[in-house]
Amino acid sequence: MSHSPKAPALRMGIPIPNSKLGMWLFLGTEIMFFTAFIGSYIVLRLGSRGWPTDYNDTHINVLLGGVNTFVLIVSSYCVVVAHEAMALKNFARARQFLWVTLILAFVFLGIKGVEYKGKIDHDILPGRIPETASQAVKKVSNQLEELVRERFSRYIDAGVVSYPQPGDILNVANLIREIPNGERPNELTTEQFEQWKTSAAADYALFLKWQDLHEHVVANVSLEYPAAPAGFLEARTKLKAGEKPPEITLDETRKRLNEMKANEQYGALVSAHVFDPHPIVYGNIFASTYFIMTGFHAIHVIVGMILFIIVLKQGSALNEKWTDWVENSGLYWHFVDLVWIFLFPMLYII
Amino acid sequence: MSDEHHSSHHVNYLTIFFVLCGCTALSVAFDVLHFAKPVTMVLVLAVACAKAMCVMMYFMHLKFEGNWKFVLLAPTTILAIGLPLALFPDIGSSYYTPTAPQVGVWADEIAEYEQHDAAEQAEKQ
Repeated sequence: MSHSPKAPALRMGIPIPNSKLGMWLFLGTEIMFFTAFIGSYIVLRLGSRGWPTDYNDTHINVLLGGVNTFVLIVSSYCVVVAHEAMALKNFARARQFLWVTLILAFVFLGIKGVEYKGKIDHDILPGRIPETASQAVKKVSNQLEELVRERFSRYIDAGVVSYPQPGDILNVANLIREIPNGERPNELTTEQFEQWKTSAAADYALFLKWQDLHEHVVANVSLEYPAAPAGFLEARTKLKAGEKPPEITLDETRKRLNEMKANEQYGALVSAHVFDPHPIVYGNIFASTYFIMTGFHAIHVIVGMILFIIVLKQGSALNEKWTDWVENSGLYWHFVDLVWIFLFPMLYII
Repeated sequence: MSDEHHSSHHVNYLTIFFVLCGCTALSVAFDVLHFAKPVTMVLVLAVACAKAMCVMMYFMHLKFEGNWKFVLLAPTTILAIGLPLALFPDIGSSYYTPTAPQVGVWADEIAEYEQHDAAEQAEKQ
């Protein structure tokens, strides 16, 4: 019977289209890809003695995460309905639901963008979070230095001050100090020069404040003592043999920073550029794992959007030839949803 | 092939959608209710697993696929579970100090860490 001329053609392989098999194999690799990140997160978190969970430390918004979860679930529902409509040859309905899916993907990325902005605004970024009091003090000094250098570069760029080594902050500061007493450069109008003079006085005052803090930070001496060298020598003369001068503390640095922020000349600049010192133990490893997991997830969302845009570009010409495409894109999209289903509780709730 | 595949089963996707929404609300509720941390952890991960099963079984149609799904997904599942287990002995056993040695000057950090440990030991005594 098997040799009958009417016998069906021998069919090899598994009973699904090759494209679907390919997509499932790809999703198999994707599972391992995300497991590397999620597994590392679990292991690192279990291996750490603490973990930042307070909203003030992490700026993780459970409500926004919950809304994004809902958005992805709705989009997953839409894509499965679109696939069903494709199978029933109702292409107009399929297009409608694919459009909704695409719009929801944009909404997801928009909410993610708001969340990222919250973290960037508070400098919750890998490698930028002070984890101890001493790191927080150093960060204040470093940020003030960045601000001073940024302010000083304006004078160099505008030609108000000319110095062969613009990075030599001490010598540039000396030149800026002399601006209010100096002569007006020919290329500047009197009005412009007056503005630079006012600005120079403020920037030089800011420089002195930073320099004072910086010297105390480098020497690790309390701000209660005047700056080097006389102040530190004085500190040492008051000590008994073998004693060390009291170290600079986070509280006094915070107090000094608040005084600077209240200053009329440069307070607004300091407020805008220097973060309040706030040590977060394990903050950097938290930020690294958060951004690597949500970042790669967001990249996958973008890839899914591209798949939907390609099929939606067909417009009214959409036909049954695209059924497998929609099914495979749908599988990919459900996987993206699946990853988020685990990221949401792990990052936002636990 | 897709047509044949579809005619063989019917799923009420709207029901699955509402189940998923309910599970998400449940996760948020567990966060709001402030149970003990391990309890919250178990509850929300159980809900996440339930949601994942719904998505895979019905939205991804795995419930209606042939046995090839086991052949295809078994190796990746084993490797996915194996990776964290392989990493755990080295990294998961309190490897990192609270002073985060990846940042800053090592000498300062070590001194600070030693002070922290000495203070802890003094407290215990």
